[in-house]
Amino acid sequence: MKDISTSINKVDNEEKISGQAKYVADIKPEGMLYAFTVRAKIVKGKILNIEYPLLPEGYFVVDYRDIPGQNIVKVIFNDMPVFTEKEITYLYEPIALLVGPDKNVLSKLIEGVHIVYQEEEPLFDWIDSVVHYHFDKGEGKRAFSGKKIIEFNYETSYQEQAYIEPQGFIGYMDGEKTTLIGSIQCPYYVKKAVVQALGESEDNVRIIQATVGGAFGGKEEFPSLIGCQLAVALKKIRKPIQLIYEREEDMLVTTKRHPSRVHFKAAIKDNKIHALSADVGIDGGANIGLSGVVLSRALIACTGAYTIENLDISGDVFRTNTVPNGAFRGFGAPQMFFAIEMFIEHLALELGVDPLVFKKDILVKQGDYTSTMGIFRDPVLMPEMICKAMEVSNYQEKRINYDALDSYKGIGMSWFFHGCGFTGSGEKNIIKAKVRLKKEFDKVEILIAAVDMGQGVKTSFRKLVANILDIDIEQVIFNNPDTDAVPDSGPTVASRTMMIVGGLVARATEEVKKRWAEEKFIVEKEYEQPSYIKYDEEKFKGDAYPAYSWGVNVVEVEVDKFTYQVKINKSWSFYDIGKAIDERIVIGQADGGLAQGLAYGYLEVMNHKQGQIMQKNMTDYIIPTAMDMCPMETYLYENPYAYGPYGAKGVGELSLIGGAPAVAKAIEQAIKRRVFKIPVTPEYIMELIKNG
Amino acid sequence: MVEAYLPKDLDECLKILNEKKVKIIAGGTDMLIQNRSHTGMSIGYRNDVLYINNLNELKNIYEDDAFVYIGAALSLEKIMESDIAPKLLKETILEMASPAIRHTATLAGNIGNASPAGDSLVSLYLMDAELEIRSINNTRRVFLKDFIKGVRKITLESDELITKVIIPKLMFEKAYFKKVGPRLSDAISKLSFAGAYQIYNNKITDIRIAFGAVNVTVVRDRLLEKKMIGKTIEELKGMIDLLTSWYDPLIVPIDDQRSNKVYRKEVAINLLREFIENLI
Ligand SMILES: Cc1cc2nc3c(=O)[nH]c(=O)nc-3n(C[C@H](O)[C@H](O)[C@H](O)COP(=O)(O)OP(=O)(O)OC[C@H]3O[C@@H](n4cnc5c(N)ncnc54)[C@H](O)[C@@H]3O)c2cc1C
Repeated sequence: MKDISTSINKVDNEEKISGQAKYVADIKPEGMLYAFTVRAKIVKGKILNIEYPLLPEGYFVVDYRDIPGQNIVKVIFNDMPVFTEKEITYLYEPIALLVGPDKNVLSKLIEGVHIVYQEEEPLFDWIDSVVHYHFDKGEGKRAFSGKKIIEFNYETSYQEQAYIEPQGFIGYMDGEKTTLIGSIQCPYYVKKAVVQALGESEDNVRIIQATVGGAFGGKEEFPSLIGCQLAVALKKIRKPIQLIYEREEDMLVTTKRHPSRVHFKAAIKDNKIHALSADVGIDGGANIGLSGVVLSRALIACTGAYTIENLDISGDVFRTNTVPNGAFRGFGAPQMFFAIEMFIEHLALELGVDPLVFKKDILVKQGDYTSTMGIFRDPVLMPEMICKAMEVSNYQEKRINYDALDSYKGIGMSWFFHGCGFTGSGEKNIIKAKVRLKKEFDKVEILIAAVDMGQGVKTSFRKLVANILDIDIEQVIFNNPDTDAVPDSGPTVASRTMMIVGGLVARATEEVKKRWAEEKFIVEKEYEQPSYIKYDEEKFKGDAYPAYSWGVNVVEVEVDKFTYQVKINKSWSFYDIGKAIDERIVIGQADGGLAQGLAYGYLEVMNHKQGQIMQKNMTDYIIPTAMDMCPMETYLYENPYAYGPYGAKGVGELSLIGGAPAVAKAIEQAIKRRVFKIPVTPEYIMELIKNG
Repeated sequence: MVEAYLPKDLDECLKILNEKKVKIIAGGTDMLIQNRSHTGMSIGYRNDVLYINNLNELKNIYEDDAFVYIGAALSLEKIMESDIAPKLLKETILEMASPAIRHTATLAGNIGNASPAGDSLVSLYLMDAELEIRSINNTRRVFLKDFIKGVRKITLESDELITKVIIPKLMFEKAYFKKVGPRLSDAISKLSFAGAYQIYNNKITDIRIAFGAVNVTVVRDRLLEKKMIGKTIEELKGMIDLLTSWYDPLIVPIDDQRSNKVYRKEVAINLLREFIENLI
């Protein structure tokens, strides 16, 4: 049998390249209507009165009064209305849908909606803490008394997912069944939200995934909002309706990566780090949603790839009158790893110690306690990966050469990990993933809720099952999930799909293999947590994750001394992801993730002015082109995780995490200045150089 | 509903311009974006439109002893492929947009759009480009610098059409365009710079400096350039601080979602320095 890592063509290459794949916008049932969203034009205040224009026949307004169930979107923390009734908490908050057959008419009608507001003073400062966490390790605060203290602040800003395909659904009534086809990551999240908003029975709501044109976390919880809105409209109008965002609408109102501020403080003993305190703030925007989970994942990663004995860690989600922030590949880790990687480096420099020596001394080893007193149980290959990284990138020699004052060149290295799967007992207590395999003659169908959003799930899962059964991949069926057909195997998030869902599918497949002689049967498996995983969410104590993926990025840059523009010359990456189920798919994830991470660090600028997102289209929001990226050399390491299929761990998010600190450090060397925030734009570099 | 006119030749085109109130569309790469509407809806044009991109009479490029003539409907890509288009112009076009856009966008469109960030304008100003403008009864020739009056302001009568861009043939020791965009391809300039010079007997005989996106339109000052002519390279290098102080008041950029005025100003001056420092 072939090594499962050996790459095959993605199974959906042809249908995507030929244009046959059906995205939401390609599905147009007879008599379909369109929905436009009526939005608030103020940042904060109350609606006093709404006057709708006279609607021609066949046109409808759908608002909070039409919601049969609860006017609240079921996410993790439920504080977002489906349609706002009175209170406006951010600019462009949705108030209603206008639905009808002709977009030209709709766009006129929407201009004729008159809303009278009572405006209130909006809040943009980070003072309204709505989630607060704190935890200690070792001596906590006491470890700081009498010690030398070094402290710095770090800052990150928005990042936009910039998926190619904007948010969208098409829906129709199938008898009494509300049916939605959407560009989504989590069919069952949408289903549960719609069930609650409609006050319907589970059987009367069906969610189907269309081909998804990219998501990056942006289609984790946001689709639940518009899914509910559309479902309410369907109930009222009972005709097929399309709700698809235009690019600008999408960029103005959908969730983004949380801006963050981190204050780090280190207590120094014998010129080493004795204790670390972190004060972390993230901007949740107008709703909490899943910001608390983002914060908790960030806090758990507060020590980066290092073991620090004494910790005093706090964090807050701040509510502001800005667009709600949410899930984005990395989920709190990119912010935290930028901050800690810079801080440890800055600390070493303050102490007059070679950063490499300083960091190697505290690098996590197998058996070490995590920040939450869990244990890094599996082998940690970082020393080997770092050694290789330094060798192939010629790190040390370049580091010395580029130290020359007028080099304007730099090389930077980041070390990082990503906790795989949901935090703590989330898989066991909340998700309770179920998978099903259906065997019929010589075919096996995979029935799971995992979504292929370009990352290759359809290919890797079929390959996984075919490999275990030693049958042709053509004998394995995987259709886009449909909640009427597949069990709830959980959302397609948190780098959990191959490791957790794939692990279950692998176990189910082993059973199919044993019973292969039987003609037709079904196998189901449910998630069982490894017995050693115990986690107390309130206290932040125990094993936060069942497994960790690890990475090293090295990046070489050049800064133009006249324009302060950064050019990335080359990158080298090293990832321990357990086992690649398909090497090319993993490299695709790795290099794409790095591009997104690098761009987060030096290129992608997004900010708001009085609650208004300033970069509202792809002209103004700058993501990298092929011209901006560099040759990428990527090395994968095998380090099997016992419960992952063939040893596979999380892949999806890891590669986004190290890009920003690596590029920031490389820029630091090139300009001989310290960097405290990302993105490190030419404007910021100019400021740093001028201010000495 | 708007009317769209698709003339079969230039005569018909000029006739339509004479009789109707229309907006000209060449490649449409500015017009479509500026009039965008919801997917699936027709383009949101506010006036009747006149397409000129199928007029072969406007798609030629030729030269005489003194000038290169570029037809108004010739695509940027075709200009890049041509043997006779000035090198500086070709190098400038290479920095514009993306290959797909360059296959349809035109030079006359970049001029007609008159954006402060229009890239070709910087090099065209530098080369003293002129335009041929026609209406049904008249043909006139005008310097580009006199044609553009400000942000999106041009002096074109409603019955007129740019038919040619006319560029003097010039000899430079060195000429280059530098675009400072937020990324390396397919992006609108934060600012830009073009510099060129000619030298004889170690003395500057011609020197030209132009900046884009730091004022309402391209900044070029012939009087300042005249003051540099006759100087040796060493003399110019020695007066670099004075030179930058001359240009300082002309460079008055703005803050926007793409950059800020402090950066734009500083980098514009830096690029002038780089140009002077690298004179050889
Ligand atoms: C993705 C993208 C990237 C871009 N990147 C760049 C860039 O890097 N640099 C840059 O400078 N621009 C850029 N642009 C803008 C645009 O492509 C250029 O301005 C282009 O040169 C416009 O040419 P066009 O033929 O498409 O103009 P059109 O859109 O057809 O017309 C533009 C304007 O000129 C007028 N016009 C056109 N032809 C004539 C004529 N013969 N006589 C009189 N008036 C006329 C029109 O009425 C209109 O007002 C970009 C655009 C896009 C969509």
